[in-house]
Parts: sequence; structure tokens; C-alpha cells
Amino acid sequence: MGVQKDRVKFNVGGRHFETTATTLAIAGRNSLFGAMFDENWDLDPTAAADEHFIDRNPDCFAVLLDLLRTGELYIPPNIPERLLHREALFYGLSDHLRAAKWGPFDGNTVRLSRSIPGRAPGDGTAIRAGPDGGCCVAHGSMVHVYDWAMEEHPPMNLDYQRVNDAVWADSNSIVLSACERLGRDDGGMGLFNASTGELKYKFHVTHDDQVKSFTGGALSLNSDYRLFGSCRGRSNEYGVGVWDQLSGKQVDFFYEPPGWSLGEADKLQWLHGANCLMVATLFPRKDNCYISLLDFRDKERMVWAWSDAGAPVGDERRVRDAIAMEECGSICVVNEYEDLGFMDLRRSGGAMRWRSRSPLMKGKMPDEPCYPKLALHQGQLFSSMNDTISVFCGPDWVLTSRLRNSYGGSICDFSIGGDRLFALHSEENVFDVWETRPPPIM
Amino acid sequence: MSSGPKKRNFQIEAFKHKVVVDPKYAEKTWKVLEDAIKEIYNHNASGLSFEELYRNAYNMVLHKFGEKLYSGLVSTMTLHLQSMSKSIEAAQGASFLDELNAKWNDHNKALQMIRDILMYMDRTFIPSTHKTPVHELGLNLWRDYVIHSSKIQSRLLNTILELIQRERTGEVINRGLMRNIIKMLMDLGPSVYQEDFEKPFLNVSADFYRAESQEYIECCDCADYLKKAERRLNEEIDRVSHYLDTKTEPKITNVVEKEMIANHMLRLVHMENSGLVKMLLDDKSEDLARMYNLFRRVSDGLSTIRDVMTSHIRDTGKQLVTDPEKSKNPVEFVETLLEKRDKYDKIIISAFSNDKTFQNALSSSFEYFINLNPRSPEYMSLFVDDKLRKGLKGVKDEDVELILDKVMILFRYLQEKDVFEKYYKQHLAKRLLSGKTVSDDAERSLIVKLKTECGYQFTSKLEGMFTDMKTSQDTMQGFYAACGAELGNGPTLVVQVLTTGSWPTQSTNTCNLPAELSTLCEKFRSYYLGTHTGRRLTWQTNMGTADLRATFGTVQKYELNVSTYQMCVLMLFNNTEHLSYKEIEQATEIPSSDLKRCLQSLACVKGKNVLRKEPMSKDIGEDDAFSVNDNFTSKLRKVKIGTVVAQKESEPEKQETRQRVEEDRKPQIEAAIVRIMKSRRVLDHNNIIAEVTKQLQSRFLANPGEIKKRIESLIERDFLERDNADRRLYRYLA
Repeated sequence: MGVQKDRVKFNVGGRHFETTATTLAIAGRNSLFGAMFDENWDLDPTAAADEHFIDRNPDCFAVLLDLLRTGELYIPPNIPERLLHREALFYGLSDHLRAAKWGPFDGNTVRLSRSIPGRAPGDGTAIRAGPDGGCCVAHGSMVHVYDWAMEEHPPMNLDYQRVNDAVWADSNSIVLSACERLGRDDGGMGLFNASTGELKYKFHVTHDDQVKSFTGGALSLNSDYRLFGSCRGRSNEYGVGVWDQLSGKQVDFFYEPPGWSLGEADKLQWLHGANCLMVATLFPRKDNCYISLLDFRDKERMVWAWSDAGAPVGDERRVRDAIAMEECGSICVVNEYEDLGFMDLRRSGGAMRWRSRSPLMKGKMPDEPCYPKLALHQGQLFSSMNDTISVFCGPDWVLTSRLRNSYGGSICDFSIGGDRLFALHSEENVFDVWETRPPPIM
Repeated sequence: MSSGPKKRNFQIEAFKHKVVVDPKYAEKTWKVLEDAIKEIYNHNASGLSFEELYRNAYNMVLHKFGEKLYSGLVSTMTLHLQSMSKSIEAAQGASFLDELNAKWNDHNKALQMIRDILMYMDRTFIPSTHKTPVHELGLNLWRDYVIHSSKIQSRLLNTILELIQRERTGEVINRGLMRNIIKMLMDLGPSVYQEDFEKPFLNVSADFYRAESQEYIECCDCADYLKKAERRLNEEIDRVSHYLDTKTEPKITNVVEKEMIANHMLRLVHMENSGLVKMLLDDKSEDLARMYNLFRRVSDGLSTIRDVMTSHIRDTGKQLVTDPEKSKNPVEFVETLLEKRDKYDKIIISAFSNDKTFQNALSSSFEYFINLNPRSPEYMSLFVDDKLRKGLKGVKDEDVELILDKVMILFRYLQEKDVFEKYYKQHLAKRLLSGKTVSDDAERSLIVKLKTECGYQFTSKLEGMFTDMKTSQDTMQGFYAACGAELGNGPTLVVQVLTTGSWPTQSTNTCNLPAELSTLCEKFRSYYLGTHTGRRLTWQTNMGTADLRATFGTVQKYELNVSTYQMCVLMLFNNTEHLSYKEIEQATEIPSSDLKRCLQSLACVKGKNVLRKEPMSKDIGEDDAFSVNDNFTSKLRKVKIGTVVAQKESEPEKQETRQRVEEDRKPQIEAAIVRIMKSRRVLDHNNIIAEVTKQLQSRFLANPGEIKKRIESLIERDFLERDNADRRLYRYLA
């Protein structure tokens, strides 16, 4: 009896469907079906003998109804994905659609999902994964934004100045840092609406109560809505600025100590457990590498610092990227030949332990090499080299997988977030989307 | 450039988006939606088609009329809320809150339905334009047009506060309605709840409790006042749990605590005839617990209680230990202390939740007054002596432990533990030698306790005494096994061989033993020295006892239990009837003070006067004469004749013990100084004093003057030297 009363009839764009209230309940209250069958609307499926009419595309309805029934997505070849996204948005089922498209990220099971060609001239600068599966790509002075369905949104720019870094503040906001233009208040740093490309506000730097223009470098965020950015002012006002992300107000500034480098940093990384910011300035931006940890409660000194200045090292031992790994209490670095090096974070002035894989790589360098980059995601370490990304796992960082897509040349930057990996190629301005497929049925 | 005649003139027609629809499309669609919203507010939604409304709203957003849709929503909702506000304002008296609640429920339901049909706008248009989402918008408009309307805002606050006031005076109010109204304020955001209700509520409450506490404190005693305060506090906590935000609880309890407790704390504690002291005296543990729990909530509350309790214990304790009446009976003295400690221990456990700081205060108070009486160590040893002699007879093992543990607690308070040790050794020696100890287990258990408290050194000699007792037993068995045959029917000798140094012996001259005994003693001596080489035996005749069989007159036969001295005296009467004091002294060579006491107990104690003295008087004179009392009778066959001895030490004896203690301390202080200097090499005077005092704390409180003397003595003996540059520094000389 209960089964009988559970049944619901629909007429969608002229086609008849029958389903159950139980299946529709999976859509959740925050969807068309959830609202439609709420008691407020008096459309109790048991009372209404008639079918419910919906003036929409029946083919897409069938796919989405199947998604609600089985939790799996199967798109027939005759339905464009974009159409399906539009219909899902109408029914309020976008989250269901996205969740069914790809599974939890794992570097050892990811597959290349698609490659998106770019159109910007010149080399890409950076690619950054967003929290919801979208990404933004910085090329020269422009930043292109893509949502999780890889729909492109209006691009953004900061007075058309060269963009140095970008970071997702939340699922709908992006912060850009750019070069300044002499004599004007152009460039610097600004927060943008990711879906409209509108500039909401700029982040200013004040020295001695005077607002000064500056070139924004590497960016980082912490969970307390603090934004960190390396800054180069024109009167030697180098250092790391701190802003409140919600109000845009500057709250702190760490001036660069003499003989060190903070204002031209390549990478900033917030360490949550240690309550510190890692600042890394690397070869070849400067002749030497400088890696340090800053605690903003004590601006008299740096908590931890390492530099290769004064050490007699050949080119094969130059650090090209660095990443702090809080769980292991160490900093991992990579050189031009993708050798990994490790340093202990718990004591200052320790030595670098290199792990050499160079013999494999030497002599196989492509014509246009890209500097290696590092990323860490849930205990897996990723490093990009030429057109390949290597995945390392376990306490000894064993190489477990290599991700390669021959199209587009060397990888100049990559980023992991929203359960996806994005890799930006230098030659063709193409970027790849890697994702883990939903788990197998059996 | 001059414009040539061939001016090309062409136009590019502006590219046109494909024309959407009817220009009135937006107006028409919005009209449909606006009417639907009106029907929803009029409880008339059953005629509406959800699918159609949803599609209309979707189409408006799709065709870029989102802005119109949104602004339309704001203005139509505002309109409806304004009319709701009117009808709430019109509600009379008590129905005001009911009406407000009913309209709030209506608005919430309508808001949900409006949000349903505008779901697409809420999901796509609003985030990208950073507008307020529909639900939040509905709450904000309700806040601005209803709650903050000039005719409602203050009326609402006054109504709520008045209801709470009525509930405080004992009336029953509609808590369900209150909960709904307060919940509404909370839903409108923390700032609305705080500004429109919580702050005024806290202010009014503070005034209320200020007045009430003033009234109570004038007419109630302390216990009653605390009961009332506790009840009020619980009422407020109850109120929060029923219809206020849980975050308000610490704030309102804080108000009650401040007004009812913190402001009257001192007056409550010191209240005449009912304050803290009175509660302590009467063991009012329930009231004390209430006071503790209430005062714990305010800063300085517990320290106030603690200070008063400490000074009370100190004062009463001082009276106790300096009361000359109490000092007369050491056992009672210690028992009173134990009772007092038990009493406060119970109070702290039952009323003050066994608070560590109170325990410490109790300990420091006892430490303070126990050491005010210099005889406390002696009395405590006497108490233990009393318990171990007879007090523990027939008491279960666990209870014995209990008493000993309590004694140990008092012992911990003593500063001069070495004085206690001195007395304890004397008393233990007497117990062991006279065979008076009741329980060997209890004796050993106490020694173990002392050992854990003060270390091995403290008890090594006491343990030596026990070893001697055991060895002596074995020796005697060996002696009789070896020589038993040749001894025949003579008197039985029991010898206890005491190690020199372990026992509190005094070197006294051996008295003359009766002939029968001295031969026996000689035999034992040769046996003992034959089995142990390199030893020397000295007879301590002042410490022994003897059992004698005596016949008075012709028939009365008794067994007398006497001391060795008494035995020597009595044996003289085997041969003669009368002896003068001088004759006895000559024959026995007992020191005169001991002899006098011994004769006193034989001749002057009523019921035990086995000797007759001429003349009859209490005291023994040099010219007295003694004879056997043939008329001696006793109900018992065994008669124990004690030696007249002061249980408590006499004044000169006390001086002597004191002096011995002082002498014993000297090497200990010196040893401590040398230990410290050996590790530190160089140290200044004040630090040495501090460290020595600390090291010796477990045994006694070292006197700084004495430490200084010891340092000087060590300098004389070249253990230390003064630094040449800084005279306050001492150096260790290896």
C-alpha cells in the first residue's frame, strides 16, 4: 500500500515519467522537487492523482532522474554536457551532478579528463585550483576563470599590469597580485568576483601613514581570513604585508631584514600548526635561495632561516621550489633535475639532505625546460618536471605514479584543489584537468 | 587632414540581440509573482501552481530581469510587513505577544514559500551580485519594519521584562510563548537579541537583585541568606534553559553572583552567631557546602572562606596547646588534637569538595600551633606509647593502622622531629625491655611509617632495638641448650643483649646482685663471650625485672613482679627481719635516687606495701628502717609492684633531653653543610643557611645561629675557608 501511494507522475515537455517520492527526496529540500512537495505547497503526491507538468527538456530530465535513482551519471552522446548543466541548475541539482562526475582525489588513480586550450599570447604564469572544482589561469596581464563545468567566466585584470600570483579567497573570490606602474597607483593587489570578473577592492600598503604603490608578489591565505603578500615598494619598502581578507585593511607588515629576501618571494605558505608563514625566494629570481619562517607576533627576528648564500654549490644543487610539510616537520625542496632535498624545520641552520635521481634525468633535458614545482596533497607529494608530474607517497616518498600528457609541451605550473589537479603547459597555453573517477560499481 | 570630396560614408548597423519577447513581458511576469506572494501572505496558496511560479521566476532571471525581480520582492514584502506591524500594534494588552508570535509564524511560513518559488534567483543571481539571500532578507525586513518599529520595540521589551519580573515574584507565566518570542529575537541575529533584550534584561536583573540582597541581608542569618541566593541562582539557570539563549547563562549568573554574593561576601562570612565560624563550630556541613559552592563562583570567594577558617583553627589551636590543663595529660592532649583534625578533615571532604588549597591551609594551621608548644613531640611519643602499651588491646588491625596513620599526620606537622625520635626511642626501649608492647605488628608498622616519612637514617636505631630483642631470644635458647643441665633448679635468667648506641642507655654502676644470681650471670657471661669474640658485656641492672615467690607470715604466698633493684632489696630480707636504709644501700650499692624510689614503691604504695617502714611516712629518709610486712594481703596471687616513676619527664630531665637533642643536631648540621659545600664549592652565607634548613627540614628546624656556629667550627677544622675578597663567601677545602 505504502509503495503505491509513494508513486509520482510527471509530464516533462510532453513525455511521461513515473517515479517515487523517495527518489525525489534524494534531491534534498534545497531543490525544485524539495520545494514542490513541501507541505506548504499542498502538492502531496498521495493526494494529487494527476501528473505534474514541467515545461523542460525531457531527455535531460531522464538523465537527471536516473542520477537521483542511482547516484550515477550517464550522459548519452546526443546530449551536450552544457545542456545538462543548464537543466541541473534549473532543478537545483548542480551539486548532485558535480558530485557524480568525479570522486575523491588520489594522485595514483587520477585520469586525464580533458584539455582546455588557452588563447593568451606568451607563457602562462600560474594556474590555481578553486575550492569547488573550478580554476583560474594567469597569462601575462590577464586571468581567465573557469567554473567546475569548465564554463569560462569574464576574465579579470589589474589595470592590465603583469600578474605575478593569484589565490582563491573563497569559492567566489580571487585575489590577484600584479606589478605596479611607475608613477601611478596601478597594479598591486586586488580582490575580484570570480563569476563576474569585477574588482571589489584593492589592498593598499601604508608605510609611515602614507599609502605607497607596490608590486605584489607571491600570495597566501590562512584560515583566519588573513591574506599575506610579498611586496616590493619603490623606496626599498620590501617585505611581507598582511591584510584582513574581509575588510581589505592592512593589519601588519614584516620588513625585509638586511641581507635577506622577503619582498621578491616566489612562494608563501601558511603553516597552521606552527602559526608561521614560510617565505621562499629562489634561484634564478635572486642569485641565492632564501627560505625562512616568520612569526608575526615577533617581528624582531625570523623563527627559522636557511640560505645557500656563501655555500659553494654547482647549478645542480640550486633550489627551484620549496614546500613546507608540517606533518613531517620538514621542508622539501627540488632542484632543476627533480632531485628532492629535505631540511628539518625543528632546528635552525640544519643541512640539506639531497636524494639524487639526477642520473635518470641528465642529458634528457628538452629544449625549453621548465623549472620544477612542488605540491602536497593529503600525504602525497607532487613534483612537475618537463611534461610529467611525479607522485610520491609514504614516509620515504617513494615514486608511485607519473602523470603525462604529451600535448602542450612542458608544464610550467600545476595546482591541486576541489578534488582536481590542473596542469598548465608552457607552449600551447593548454591546461589539463585530472580527476579521479567515481568508484567502480562492482 | 582635409576632407576629400570622396568622403566615404557608410554605416554599420548596430548588432542587435535577438528580440526577446513582448516588452511588457517583465511587467506581466512580475505581476503574476506579486499576486502569488499576496496570496501566500493571505493563507490562500492552494490555488497556486508551484511549477508555473518557479518557471516564471526562472525566466525573469534568465532574461536579465533579476534586478527587477529582486527589487520587486523587497518592496512587496515591505508592504506586507508594514500591514502586519499595524495589526500587531493594534493588539490590546496581553494579546500583544500572542499576536506578534502568530504573525511571526505567518511570515516565516510565507518566507519559506517565497524562497521556494524564487529558488533559482537565490542560487544564481544573488551570489553573483552580492545581494542578501531571500531568507536573510525576509528576516532583516521583519527586524526593520516590525521589531524596530517605534510602537513595538519598547513595548515588546517592557512586556518581556515585566513577565520575567512576575515570574520572579512567583507567578506562573506562559513559558512556551516566551520561548518563541526569544527564539525570534535570536533568529534575527545575535546583535538583535543582545541589544533589544539581553542588555536591558541584565540591567534590570542587577537592580532587582541589588535591592533583594539588601533586604535579605538585613533580616536573614547567614545560612538562610545563602539558601535564598542558591535558589535565585538556580531559578535563573532554569530560566535560561527554558526560554533564553544558552550564552546568556554565564552573564545572568554573573549578575546574581555579583549582586548577591560578591557584594556581601565579608558581611556574610563574619555574621555574628551565624557566620562561617559558627558553622565550623557546629559542623554545619550542609551550610558550609552551600557557602563553598556559592563563593567558588566569585573571585576571592574561596580565599575569603579559607582565611577565616585558617585564623579560626589557629586561634582555637593555640588556646588548646597553651592550655596548662590540657598539658597535664599528654594522651588527652594528643587525642584532642586528633579530634580537631578529624573534624576539619571531615568538613573539608564533605563541604569543601576536598579542595587541595583548603587541605593545605589546614596543614599549615596545625603546623603553626602544634609547634607553639615545645613539648608536643614528647606528648605525641607518650600518646603512641600509651596506645602501644594498652590502648590497642582488643582493637582490630585495621583500626590500629587507622590510629597510627592519624598520629603520622600529626607527626608531619612537627618541626622538631628529632626530639620526637629521642622520646620515642626512650619509650620504645621501656616497652621492649619490660615486655609491655601489645602488638609487635603495630610497633613495626609504625616504624615503617616513620621510615617512609623521614628516611632510613631516622629509624635505623629503632630497628636495631628490635633486632637485639630477637637475637637475645635466640641467645637465651642457645644458653639453656648448652648449660641448662648444670643449672638445675636455680633461678631462671633472661638476658637481653643490647647493642651500645642503639639504646638510650645510661652508664650506671652495676649494683650488687644476690649471690645466686651473680653466679648465674657469670655463667651466661662466659657462655656469651665464648660464642662471640671481641665483645664486652656490661650489666644494666637498672633496667631489668624479676619475678619472685614470696611468703608472708605463714600462709600467704604471692608471686611478686618487681624491678631488678627491688629484687636485690627484697632478697636481702631472706636473711634478716630488719634493715636500715644505710644497710640496704651498702649491701646493694644502688644509686641513692633509684634506691629511694625503689623503696618508696615497696613500702609506701597502698595495697602493695610488701615492706614496712619506720617511721610511717610518704617519703624515704636516710634514717628509715624496713622490715617485711607479714600482714601483706592481696586479692591476686600475682602482684605487680611498679616503680614510682613520673610518666612525664620532670623539669631537669626535660632539660637533659633537650640538651642531648641539641648535641645530636650539631653533627647533623655539620654533615649537611659539608654535603652542600662539597657539591657547590663556593656559596654565600645566606644560601648555606637556606639550603641547610631545607635539607634538615624533615628532621628539625635548624636554628640559623647554630648553623653559623657550625660553619665557624668547620672553618677552624679546615673544612671551609672564607673567601679573601668577599668575606660573605665560603669555600670548600677538599
